[in-house]
Amino acid sequence: MAAFTQTVRSAFTKVPRWVYLTAAWVLAALFPVLNALDLVQTAWIRVGVLSLLFALLALGLNIIMGETGLLNLGYIAFFAFGAYTTALLSSPKFDLHWPFAALIVVSALVAMLGGFLIGLPTLRLRGDYLAIVTLAFGEIVRLTIVNVPTLTNGPNGITGIDFLKPLGPGVTARLQSAGLPQAVSNLLTIDKPTEYYYLVLVCVALGALLLSNLKNSRVGRAWNALREDELAAVSSGITASRMKLLSVLLSSAIAGFAGSLYAYYSNVISPESFIFMQSVIVVCMVVLGGMGSIPGVILGAIVLQALPQVIRESAGAARSEFEVYRMLVFGVIIVAMVVLRPEGLLPDKLWRGQAHEADPRELERTRQTLFDLEEGEQDLEA
Amino acid sequence: MASEARTPLLEFRGVDTYYGRIQVLKGVDYEVYPQEIVCLLGGNASGKSTTMKTILGIVRPAKGEVLFEGRVINGLRTSERVKLGIATVPENRRLFPHLTVLENLEMGAYTRNDTAGIAEDLDRVYELYPRVYERRNQRAGTLSGGEQQMVAFGRALMSRPKLIIMDEPSMGLAPALVDQSFDTIAEINRQGVSIFVVEQNATAALSIADRGYVLQNGRVVMRGSAQELLANEELKRAYLGG
Repeated sequence: MAAFTQTVRSAFTKVPRWVYLTAAWVLAALFPVLNALDLVQTAWIRVGVLSLLFALLALGLNIIMGETGLLNLGYIAFFAFGAYTTALLSSPKFDLHWPFAALIVVSALVAMLGGFLIGLPTLRLRGDYLAIVTLAFGEIVRLTIVNVPTLTNGPNGITGIDFLKPLGPGVTARLQSAGLPQAVSNLLTIDKPTEYYYLVLVCVALGALLLSNLKNSRVGRAWNALREDELAAVSSGITASRMKLLSVLLSSAIAGFAGSLYAYYSNVISPESFIFMQSVIVVCMVVLGGMGSIPGVILGAIVLQALPQVIRESAGAARSEFEVYRMLVFGVIIVAMVVLRPEGLLPDKLWRGQAHEADPRELERTRQTLFDLEEGEQDLEA
Repeated sequence: MASEARTPLLEFRGVDTYYGRIQVLKGVDYEVYPQEIVCLLGGNASGKSTTMKTILGIVRPAKGEVLFEGRVINGLRTSERVKLGIATVPENRRLFPHLTVLENLEMGAYTRNDTAGIAEDLDRVYELYPRVYERRNQRAGTLSGGEQQMVAFGRALMSRPKLIIMDEPSMGLAPALVDQSFDTIAEINRQGVSIFVVEQNATAALSIADRGYVLQNGRVVMRGSAQELLANEELKRAYLGG
């Protein structure tokens, strides 16, 4: 058995990373083709869109939680900021119909402002205290949405959000009246699940690209140092408050961006989508995938978002039963992960094994250390 | 070594420091001259760690002045002080445990932009500690205490400092490693870096130091050359264990 796992492991580590990456992206891009060939129901494309939206959220949360080490239990509030900004400015509610290009930016900015407001007073906090404050912040945002119906329609939510027209409604209408062929004209409005799927997939890819560059920059290194030991980081010349605020701002901007896409996609938004449990689920996605690991958190989001649907489908007649036990299943998965594979599905260090190696023997040793760690050896002798 | 005519590299002039309403440092004066090793002795809660934090700017003095190369640095943030040439070996070393040794060393050079100079200094650290070179891709948290000590010194050197402040460098090291650690401090000093070291192990620290201060309840109660302090009867009873 040991020999077998050894073989599997060395096989895994011998294949270069880019092979896995390319394979994953190609598979993701080909998924809607299965639907076009009638092999997969459209419902699964919808599951795919939501999974990718949550992957975007998980990437954002990973910046503060995974890279900078600041727990945030109210992250879904930033998602809500983005979603409500888009909904209010592109729906019959105030009869405003801003173009997509403006809204996606404004939504991210509003979420950033929210991040700034909560970030400024709380960045000195750590651990438990930060968890409590962010949890409260998330709930305050949701309760405010519920209790200010003049602005938000309260629990009823906002309906009739505009269709997503990348070129804006004016240009699109003009092009269509100019006698564009139907097929081309259809593409100017994103409304089909497959179209959303590709839009969000591209956003996730861009997000992953941005974050992996950031991760290996001075900024990323400073975040990691703050996560590891704040005093030592400050002594090395990092300005902790500035770097933490940057981390909060960027992660809330990503959530706002995702929220905007979500509002367009779902057409209707209501406070129920932004409950505390959703924040917890995003945290679980990051932990499950592997904190600080970009491919890890994307995988974590897809697994946790899609898995309940898969289970529900296979439950057949017991479907409604499953809804009741959904959170229980979640809990079991998380506990199992923490016990069996605390570093997550795709741990960062394993993924970035080659970070600095030039000598193949060094590479082997790093991998060896990583696998030893996973097998439960003491992480820190200290 | 210390000539009073020269400008001290680091100087405290009548520094008072508070934590909330509790006063920790009470009118403290120190001088550290270029090329010197100065040792700060004192019991628990005497204000040694606060002294370190005040030098770094993590704690700001309520009264008095902290000067570096003759310039008042009271208002500078930590990062600016690091740029001026102050590096730290913190208590318990405090490496970044999940970063590799190389990444830890690179963090020491965080405030610098001269890629070529950083590479040069990295080579110097590897030369000083071949062991660190062997371990460069290993996570810092998996090293032994002695190895971590080397990385902590290396990290401090990576900012190309004029002054390194050390908080209890011998703490938690095996006895055999303590002497080695003081040898290294002396070696770093020979390369032209001044050292201000807080230490419980007074005998070992004074054996390599030029001068020393004794801190008690936030006041400097004794100061002098290392030889004078080593010979002082009162100090012997209190700190030197005999």
